[in-house]
Amino acid sequence: MKLTNLKRYRLLFLLVTAVVVLSGCYGTRQGTSWPAIGLIEFNDEQYIAVSYNGQMELVRPDTGSFASLINPATGEIRRTENNDPRTWVLNGPDYDNAQFFSSPIQLEDDRYLIADYNNRLLEVDAITTTVEDITPVEDHVLANILVVDDVLYIPFQNGGVTAMTLDDKDVLWSYPTEEGVWAQPINVENQIIFPSLDHQLYSVDIDSGELLWTADLEGGIASTPLLANDRLYVGSFNKKFFEISLDGEILNDYDTQNWVWGTPAIDEDGIVYVTDLSGYVHALDTNDDLSSVWSVQASPRGIRPGPIVYEDRVIVASRDGIVHWLDKRDGLTINDQEIEGNPELLGDLIFLEPSDTLNIDEPLIVVSSTNTGELLIAFGIDGRQAWVHKR
Amino acid sequence: MWDLIINPFVTLLTWFYSVLNQDIVLAIVVLTVIIRFLTYPLLARQQESSRKMQQLQPQLKKLQEKHKNDREKLSEAQMKLYKEHGVNPVGGCLPLLIQFPILIGLYQAIFFALAATPFQLVDLPERLLIPGLDHLIPIQRIWLGMDLTLPPTTNPTYALVLPLLVLVTTWAQSKLTMSMSKQNKSDDDKDGSDDTSVAGQAQAMTQSMTTIMPLMFGFFSLSFSVGLSIYFVTSNLVGIVQYSPQGRAVLDKIFSSNKSEADVIVDSKDEEEDEPVKKPRKTTKKKPRKK
Repeated sequence: MKLTNLKRYRLLFLLVTAVVVLSGCYGTRQGTSWPAIGLIEFNDEQYIAVSYNGQMELVRPDTGSFASLINPATGEIRRTENNDPRTWVLNGPDYDNAQFFSSPIQLEDDRYLIADYNNRLLEVDAITTTVEDITPVEDHVLANILVVDDVLYIPFQNGGVTAMTLDDKDVLWSYPTEEGVWAQPINVENQIIFPSLDHQLYSVDIDSGELLWTADLEGGIASTPLLANDRLYVGSFNKKFFEISLDGEILNDYDTQNWVWGTPAIDEDGIVYVTDLSGYVHALDTNDDLSSVWSVQASPRGIRPGPIVYEDRVIVASRDGIVHWLDKRDGLTINDQEIEGNPELLGDLIFLEPSDTLNIDEPLIVVSSTNTGELLIAFGIDGRQAWVHKR
Repeated sequence: MWDLIINPFVTLLTWFYSVLNQDIVLAIVVLTVIIRFLTYPLLARQQESSRKMQQLQPQLKKLQEKHKNDREKLSEAQMKLYKEHGVNPVGGCLPLLIQFPILIGLYQAIFFALAATPFQLVDLPERLLIPGLDHLIPIQRIWLGMDLTLPPTTNPTYALVLPLLVLVTTWAQSKLTMSMSKQNKSDDDKDGSDDTSVAGQAQAMTQSMTTIMPLMFGFFSLSFSVGLSIYFVTSNLVGIVQYSPQGRAVLDKIFSSNKSEADVIVDSKDEEEDEPVKKPRKTTKKKPRKK
């Protein structure tokens, strides 16, 4: 077929238009959030639950492989028609393209409750991975739900927290906020305390949902406060880290290099470790009005998740796909482990201590990446890579 | 590399949001108008270059006929002709190529500044190039009951008026562009130039643009965020003003008034030098049109 000049021009025009439109899409981040990881009981053992995009799965802490489904009657592994072992996977596409960014909640009778990004609470039979009940909620859920005395405290992406009974899903109260709640609320005595992107840290009455106090932290807050020694420790997007009393008074603050997005960690000496999005780790003395013990830039890229403190080490994961082991005393790097392909490490880290239910004989640090080919990476405390879980 | 363009725009947009009473729609409108205004000289140069190229078409056609069996000589003759008449054959593309990254940067800036999910928001601190803007985050993204980060289809029904506005304003802008090129063509016809196949094809392409572009952008706006629709509508409205004769007159006056006296002298000299270019055209005989 011979193309006329006119057709060539039209084809060229369409090609140029397509290139322009495609280049216009350059750099736009596709996706909602990073993986959420937590521990959950299954068959009397503990597994790592990973929620990310359209799938939630259980992972063995000792090997990083998928958990297998067990037939409770025979105790044998369930198998597919091809005799392959069936794995514990909840497929979002099977349930109206559900997306998962928060960790499941353990219920009685081998059931889990999972909030999805499609404004629903899914009740799942843990034995068969079948969704048995669906409860609609008012908005997307990005952060973990808090459970206290059979009441769910649900944070919503576009604002507010709702208290709902676990059994009947009756709404007890809702507290609205101007912007989203992107972190799990905490319970302190009669208070439910939660941060909001509207710059306020809120405390509401656990029973009535009435406001007890707010603290203005001058910037968006997207991390769960750390409760230690009757104080709250939390950072904001205004490059500040705060020490707050349990009645909402700001006692001390400290200027960080950039936004603070991760929940800090504290050691037995009262030193709190804070990460920021410029890649800095700050060690602050809570016994001395948050005075700086040391502050080091562990990575040129940002550090989103909070640190893990274990024995004499502070462990952090940066956005350039590197896990750093720092000396707790001076912040000097002891060890760096670069993950293959340098995937972004944005999800929270979890620390696993050896126990019978975890089936591990050494402590493990588990980090999550946004690359499903290396969704979870486990390291020993010395920095040796123990296993990789790929989806 | 793109971040070098996008990040200043994100910063500017956030700064405008700060000074314009934290009204992001106003910030988008003001920044779009300013960017379109500042890139007007590029647009004017591109139009001027297109006009000159169109005027040279009859002579180019003759050269093509004369050297149809010798590509090398044709190329040489064409370059000589361009040089004689002070025309850069890629002069029309270059301003366009410079404009694209700027407009794409602005488009991206809106996307990044209005970050609505953790995955989008985590990039924002790296993009704010001046201190003191962090306390403005997150940017208020609800406008007239619409979430600016969501497409019109997941907003209240009345948000669907925005893709319609995008379609209408894109069509109006394309129509104005077409009428400009038609005007150039009719000027050439008056000068006795031949409606060569290249000019005719360009005309046909412009015509198809007038149909395809509005439909395409209207369709895209259904799935793009409302904030981007506001950018498209504003950008199109500015384009309409820039392409309209009155608008062009005003803008030409503004940008020419900035020229120094020396520039004006050079310009007038250029015009004198340009004069002989028009002379051969007057002697060109008009070919009889085939029925």
